Amino acid sequence: MADASGSSADKSVQVKLVLLGEAAVGKSSVVLRFVSNEFQANKEPTIGAAFLTQKCRLEDRVLRYEIWDTAGQERFHSLAPMYYRNAQAAVVVYDVTKASSLEKAKTWVKELQRQANPNIVIALAGNKVDLVQPASAPSPTPVAESEDEADDATATPGEATGEQPESLRQVPREEAEAYAQEAGLLFFETSAKTGEGIVEIFTEIAKKIPIEQILASSRGGAGRAGGVGGRTGTGSQQGGVNLEENAAKGKDACNC
Amino acid sequence: MSTISTHLRNFKEPTREQLNLLFFSLPIDAETHGGEKAASGELERMEISAVLTLGVQNIEDAYPGKLYLIPPYLAFSSLDRKSVRFTIPLSTIRRVERLNARAGIYALSLSLWHNTKIVVQLTSLRPTADLFCSLLRDALKAELNRGQMKAVKSFIETCYSESLLANIESDNKENAGSKADSGSTDSLHLGGLGLKFKYPGDPRKLREASKMKLWTTYLKTHGRNLTLLRYPQYTRLVQVGLPNRLRGEMWETLSGSLYLRFAHPGEYERILKENEGRTSTSTEEIEKDLHRSLPEYPAYQSEEGIGALRRVLQAYSFRHPETGYCQAMNILAAAILIYMSEEQAFWLLQVICDRLLPGYYSPSMHGTLLDQRVFESLVHKCLPILYEHFTAVDVQLSVASLPWFLSLFINSMPMVFAFRIIDCFFCMGPKVLFQVGLTILKINGEELLQVQDDGGFIHLMRNYFASLGDSAHPESADPRARAITRFQELLLVSFREFAIITDEMIQNERKRFRGEIVHSIESFSKRSAIRNLKTLHRFTKDQAGLIYDALFKAICIEPPPAASLPPPSLLTTKDSPEERPETRIGLKTFRVFLSEIATWARIEKIVSNGFQQRVEREVAEHEFIDRIFSFWDTDYRGSLSFQDLISGLDGVMFNDLMENIEWFFNLHDKNKDGYLTKDEVLTLSESLLFIFRYEIGDAYLGAVSRFMSNAFEYGDALLPRPEGSDPDDDPPPLESNQPYINLATFRMVVLADEVLESFFESDFASTFRLEPVPMMEMPNANTSLLGGLWDTLTSSDNRKIFNRLTDEVGRTIGKHQVYHRPAIGKFATLEEPKARESLLTPTMRRSASKASLRLEEQSTPRVDIPSTSKSAPANLNVPIRGEVDKAEGGLSPSAYSAMPSMFEAAATAAALMERTPFAIDDAKDDEDDESEDETEGEDDGVMDEVDAFLEAHDSGLTPAEQELAQDLIHAEPVK
Ligand SMILES: Nc1nc2c(ncn2[C@@H]2O[C@H](COP(=O)(O)OP(=O)(O)O)[C@@H](O)[C@H]2O)c(=O)[nH]1
Ligand SMILES: [Mg+2]
Repeated sequence: MADASGSSADKSVQVKLVLLGEAAVGKSSVVLRFVSNEFQANKEPTIGAAFLTQKCRLEDRVLRYEIWDTAGQERFHSLAPMYYRNAQAAVVVYDVTKASSLEKAKTWVKELQRQANPNIVIALAGNKVDLVQPASAPSPTPVAESEDEADDATATPGEATGEQPESLRQVPREEAEAYAQEAGLLFFETSAKTGEGIVEIFTEIAKKIPIEQILASSRGGAGRAGGVGGRTGTGSQQGGVNLEENAAKGKDACNC
Repeated sequence: MSTISTHLRNFKEPTREQLNLLFFSLPIDAETHGGEKAASGELERMEISAVLTLGVQNIEDAYPGKLYLIPPYLAFSSLDRKSVRFTIPLSTIRRVERLNARAGIYALSLSLWHNTKIVVQLTSLRPTADLFCSLLRDALKAELNRGQMKAVKSFIETCYSESLLANIESDNKENAGSKADSGSTDSLHLGGLGLKFKYPGDPRKLREASKMKLWTTYLKTHGRNLTLLRYPQYTRLVQVGLPNRLRGEMWETLSGSLYLRFAHPGEYERILKENEGRTSTSTEEIEKDLHRSLPEYPAYQSEEGIGALRRVLQAYSFRHPETGYCQAMNILAAAILIYMSEEQAFWLLQVICDRLLPGYYSPSMHGTLLDQRVFESLVHKCLPILYEHFTAVDVQLSVASLPWFLSLFINSMPMVFAFRIIDCFFCMGPKVLFQVGLTILKINGEELLQVQDDGGFIHLMRNYFASLGDSAHPESADPRARAITRFQELLLVSFREFAIITDEMIQNERKRFRGEIVHSIESFSKRSAIRNLKTLHRFTKDQAGLIYDALFKAICIEPPPAASLPPPSLLTTKDSPEERPETRIGLKTFRVFLSEIATWARIEKIVSNGFQQRVEREVAEHEFIDRIFSFWDTDYRGSLSFQDLISGLDGVMFNDLMENIEWFFNLHDKNKDGYLTKDEVLTLSESLLFIFRYEIGDAYLGAVSRFMSNAFEYGDALLPRPEGSDPDDDPPPLESNQPYINLATFRMVVLADEVLESFFESDFASTFRLEPVPMMEMPNANTSLLGGLWDTLTSSDNRKIFNRLTDEVGRTIGKHQVYHRPAIGKFATLEEPKARESLLTPTMRRSASKASLRLEEQSTPRVDIPSTSKSAPANLNVPIRGEVDKAEGGLSPSAYSAMPSMFEAAATAAALMERTPFAIDDAKDDEDDESEDETEGEDDGVMDEVDAFLEAHDSGLTPAEQELAQDLIHAEPVK
């Protein structure tokens, strides 16, 4: 089989991470940004959950994230435990331009805190901050990108007008941050579109994960070759995560 | 923040009849809408043994089997339920002839639309055959009258197979001319996006041309579309893969969606038109997914494909608002639209979602969960080593297999392969998914045993699916073996080795796990409903759970009206904040809910009829309850959520004396001005009387009338009077909404009475009981073979019948008694505390209620429990109070019936009020009338009671009654 790494001694620590959140808040986009450093209209239909992997170097350690990007539709909610069980980390995403998405995020947090692995590291990510930032960062409205979202009903209203970005914001940073603090979560505001805050989520999670524990308890931590890419089965990502300490992805590319 | 769905409660195992309809790809009854049913409803169905022969040459064997008349269809299946079968609309039968055959043989020759002729020899006895024929005649006539016969021609023209054969025929006649217009006739026939955007896969590799030839030959002699007959060759042809151009039509025929399209002409267009511009949660969700449905297929990069997909999905969601739209349906729809028109796809999608994969896409996705469980169990059975490995390393099958089932492999393997599995799926039914799934695991068994976690499992599966086009035996010396692809290997193993997976087996496995799945879904939604409460207030989680159970039961009994769809078009604005779906109940459901929790909100009749004693619970209706409903509806929405109920109950269940008094006061202070009007005082008294309506003795009645006179007295005394007027004068006339007494006054008046004080102190709180709600039982795994909810319903029906019967007998023999159980049950004996010294000063006491004095006098005479009560039939005991001693506890009926007159005077005292006459009860034991296991206890007791009764009264019954009683003993009506 194409399993190059096999059981060769591999110092990488495998971390199971699950993404949860209301539909269309940008979970898949966040993962895509992290895994392939790109932003595009989501082409991969998610049935249940999409599974991706990405390596991440932290100091002298290599972390191998196994990412489960769950379907956001409400009726798939009851399937979520299947994906978050045994997860060491979770990223709960909401959309800063949609207040109700924070409410949903809170219910996910509650559920995780009661039903998931008790040591789970949870990060709360308020996504789509690019929409609420002043135009100082040249408000990216090139044709190519608006095309991506042109026919996407979920594209947030106002994106086109983009006049007073701050007014689109429905969740004040302070409010979410205070909640995160109170609930003991890592907190970030992110944009899958600009890449802001994305890598930070995963590095901060990596720092907080009790790696030694995992190493001790894991079944050897021998990584199988990571597989990304969809039904074609090709490891499609070339670009690295723009994180200096990011590991080379030789292994991920081997399952062509 | 949560929706509570009870539809799983109605989840029934399919009946034998329904399974038969499913087998023949016919709509199951529940599915048929309106006209269809009315038209065929009265026509009788019948089945008969028959031998089928193809009427032309000797190209096929004769097959013994069964012929089914299922108006408006005729269906046949060979005995093995596999080799040969057909389902044809009666309207395609052009001629029926009784064959003039040898004596003793009864045969019909049926000429079908496509010039095919079949002969069915009815092998049953003659009268049966005659009956069948006459029913067939009636059914045919009905179709003729309905005009269906005429509809056939134009319908059939939409089917591609027609042009295929027409071309062949004209080719034979004149080679040149027809070829030219074959293209144009082709466009008359329905087809999918593939016509324009090409079909996936290389036509040469798929050997399209030779497949087409084989099919043409087959269809020529075996009918097509509506009249297609399935002979063994047919299944083999499907297994090698349908040719692209015929695929859509074949799917329709195999799945039976063809019959739906035939029966509902124009419905697809109509649905779209009627709902034009309408938006809903479903349409929004559909929009999000349109561009992620087979995006690599060129049509879905154009508006043409996207538009078709949108319309099909929307039309489905409009026609089935309860299912709406579920992710994965987009993939199915996108896939089938490649091969068929929108209308065809619409009906096929319906058959997939409703019939072939029932419950897969519903809001709870129970069908999906159930089949995942079934699949797991089959893996356990068929691949035990793998199953154990997965258990050992804690890998969940579903992480990989869920999408296989939900999207029929389309999302998992290259499309060309998935479509071939789908061909088989429509031909052989849902078992194919299980067979293929098992084979995938089996073929990859070695590697799977190395897998250590979910991720590794997914990864391995991905690699396997990507390699399906490779040779299965690349090393083999035999070039023919080398040519076998891994996909072919997959199908081969599926149908050879896993032929043991039958429809029946799947049905049985589903039955086995259904209860478990329903239970886990229900408890999951219960947990999340509780978790999602904004606050539990002072309740524990367990108590909230009990409240949830009561709510759930209430919703089962009295479903709240479905949340209506937003009105069509213009009125809905996109930017209005999207309401999260949440279950809210109306007044009717609330009454049921409250009756589960508050003893006074229900009417509990203890019925004894000489055979049994039972408690019958009814939901009470009273202004008091309605008032609480509005009181708790703090947002004035006309409905209550789970949170509202929790908050409302919190406001009343944890109160001390003063808080309870205040609660009661506020409840009746409608305008919340801190005062009750005089009318409100009256209403409040009525509320009290309502709560006390079944209490024993007249203590409460007395208390209420004292309360009233004191309240009026006090209120009048405190009324503002004109300056200098004599305080002893009559008070000025009241205006209807004039503030009358305030909380402080109310409190004083209440505290003036010992009965009321203790009522507010503790008795009222004790009428709220959070107890395990006796739920309608769900079938559990062990009983499921016999069980199923249906049985539960049947047995509760039985129970009613039994009750009715025994009541009747009881009445005839004069043993039928009904008592009401009190809500508080404090005063078991008829003793009554005296009123306290009034707080009112003597002057205020001016008109010291004579009524209340009189009442005291009147109520002094106590009812002596007759010592003769020993002679009363023992079965008058209230069964729930198990500890009541039979010998002492029973009151003679005469003692009871004597009582109401006693209260007449008291009733007068309560002049203005209309009150329910106090019912009487044996309340020997006080307080503790826990009703926990009343149902069970009662059930167990029933048969013993009957036995005992019969023994004791053997001679007292007429022979007929004895017989009835005997029957009842053997009827086993309960549980
Ligand atoms: N402007 C902006 N749009 C985003 C961002 N992240 C996602 N989106 C868009 O939001 C929509 C939903 O994203 P998706 O990743 O599919 O959400 P998911 O359902 O949570 O997986 C898509 O149209 C994305 O292009 C972001 O950071 N900024
Ligand atoms: Mg997604």
